Amino acid sequence: MSAERQGAASAAPDPRISMRGIVKRFGSVEALRGVDLDLHAGECLGLVGDNAAGKSTLTKILSGAYVPDGGEIRVNGRRVDFRNPADARVHRIEMVYQDLSLCDTIDVAGNLFLGREPMRGAFLDRRAMRDGARAMLDRLEIKIPRLDALVAQLSGGQRQAIAICRAAAFDPEVLIMDEPTSALAVAEVEAVLALINRVKASGVSVVLITHRLQDLFRVCDRIAVMYEGVKVAERRTAETDLQDLVSLIVGEKHVSKAAGAAAGPGGAA
Amino acid sequence: MTAYTSRPAGSRLADMLATHAQLLSIAGFFLIMVVIFSVMSPVFLTTGNLLNVLRQAAPILIVAVAMTFVITTGGIDLSVGSTVALINALAAILIQFGIPWQAVVPALLLIGSAVGAAQGWFIAYQGIQPFIVTLAGLSALRGIALLMTEGFSVPIPGGIGFVQIGRGWFAGVPAPAWIAVVAAVAGFLALTGMRFGRYVTAIGANQEAARRAGIPTRRILLSVYVLTGLASAVAGIVIAARLGSGSSNAAVGLELDVIAAVVLGGTSLMGGRGSILGTILGALTIAVIGNGLILAHVSPFFTQIVAGAIILLAVWLNARVFSRLAAGTRRRT
Repeated sequence: MSAERQGAASAAPDPRISMRGIVKRFGSVEALRGVDLDLHAGECLGLVGDNAAGKSTLTKILSGAYVPDGGEIRVNGRRVDFRNPADARVHRIEMVYQDLSLCDTIDVAGNLFLGREPMRGAFLDRRAMRDGARAMLDRLEIKIPRLDALVAQLSGGQRQAIAICRAAAFDPEVLIMDEPTSALAVAEVEAVLALINRVKASGVSVVLITHRLQDLFRVCDRIAVMYEGVKVAERRTAETDLQDLVSLIVGEKHVSKAAGAAAGPGGAA
Repeated sequence: MTAYTSRPAGSRLADMLATHAQLLSIAGFFLIMVVIFSVMSPVFLTTGNLLNVLRQAAPILIVAVAMTFVITTGGIDLSVGSTVALINALAAILIQFGIPWQAVVPALLLIGSAVGAAQGWFIAYQGIQPFIVTLAGLSALRGIALLMTEGFSVPIPGGIGFVQIGRGWFAGVPAPAWIAVVAAVAGFLALTGMRFGRYVTAIGANQEAARRAGIPTRRILLSVYVLTGLASAVAGIVIAARLGSGSSNAAVGLELDVIAAVVLGGTSLMGGRGSILGTILGALTIAVIGNGLILAHVSPFFTQIVAGAIILLAVWLNARVFSRLAAGTRRRT
């Protein structure tokens, strides 16, 4: 489990995030059956697994969207209890949700500042929001021509870019991305990968969930594999390859069948 | 190429028209109604009649402003008419009981808010459909009013200051109209410029996204129903003061007029998009139609049919014709 502790910048004694024995049930289904996971400063951890392996559930627990039924989470060595997403935000944990979680009828700047609007007296400070939004987008080299456009009017790539920007802009310590590239065209995927490398370089810990296995090798330092609600393996990116990952994801039995097929397109979303 | 591809920006004018298409269409429809009725009746455009329209429209407008917030969250409040009746009856009963009206008014406002809070609690914290909760309220609240008055109209003595709330004039304008103006301005500022309005819109657009953004969605949801309860109390007081009596039969069907006014104004029943300016125009349109049909000597039996047809026509024009003309490029309605 914690055999591989020499991540990129793990001079600190405690990992930035440490999850132990996380359990989550939905009715009779045990979505997570005791998962341990560490995350160090400035590293990118890839989280892979089949559909319904528990990847999204695990990250939603870390972002406070779900409350776990068992286990504990430590942030920089201190035990925390997230009751809702606002609690996780206080600890600088931000998440890009798979469904993006944008409000279609609110403009770009409003979505970027949703839940932490700058105020002037009792009123929203629109100028500060617009200027701040422009600066946030520029910093991540995201091009949105009009900040007063409603999010509903934007392309899928722009929407995903806004969701990523919102999570990355408020100096997070941990940035979780649940399939951030699923709806993107080739050029936009490249931009997101570049963005992950940029925020990583600034010391942010990134958790990346994706079905595009080839992307993992370009941004991740470590890869954790989940299967049916447990973490079955953890590999350092330098010490694994596509073939190895595929066999870990589908389980040993199906290796010969699936390896050839999944090496091509990388699996469906 | 490491930047996101961005589409060329469209014409700003077209975008602006698209954004405000609904508002422009209801404004146009309102003007058409005014023109038609001023042709049909010479009395319509006189100052006296217009002020009368304003006074008649005041209760609908006051409640419609609050209803705009509820509908913008994606909810509905069917109980407003019954809450108005309850407050209306209570006002007369409490004053007849000998309690000074200066104490009765704040007590009624509190009761109205409490009624709204109770319904809002079931909706926001117990997750029951707003339609069901407020349908129950529609039935039960008027039932309480009936029980208290035993179906009789309770008179309010005319000599006290209370009736000035409904009959008084300030600076040449009826007091109810002033109250409606205050409600409309407050509603406009809150919905467009304040954090509360932003959160109401966000909840209507995507409640889970709002929750994930750290917005206290339940508290906001509860508070919009407190708003309709409070606004219904104000309307109930205004009606009691104007008519000088309290009755469990007051404001029958008010909820329909109010919802029609809000929807006419372009607020989306699906939530996420609300306009107080549209609501004001919608409420005035409904008031003008009611007043104009009477002045034009249309049989009172016809007025409901005509009013219903006109409202359907307006919403249809709004949805099909005006917005399409103004926004050939709009993606989502």
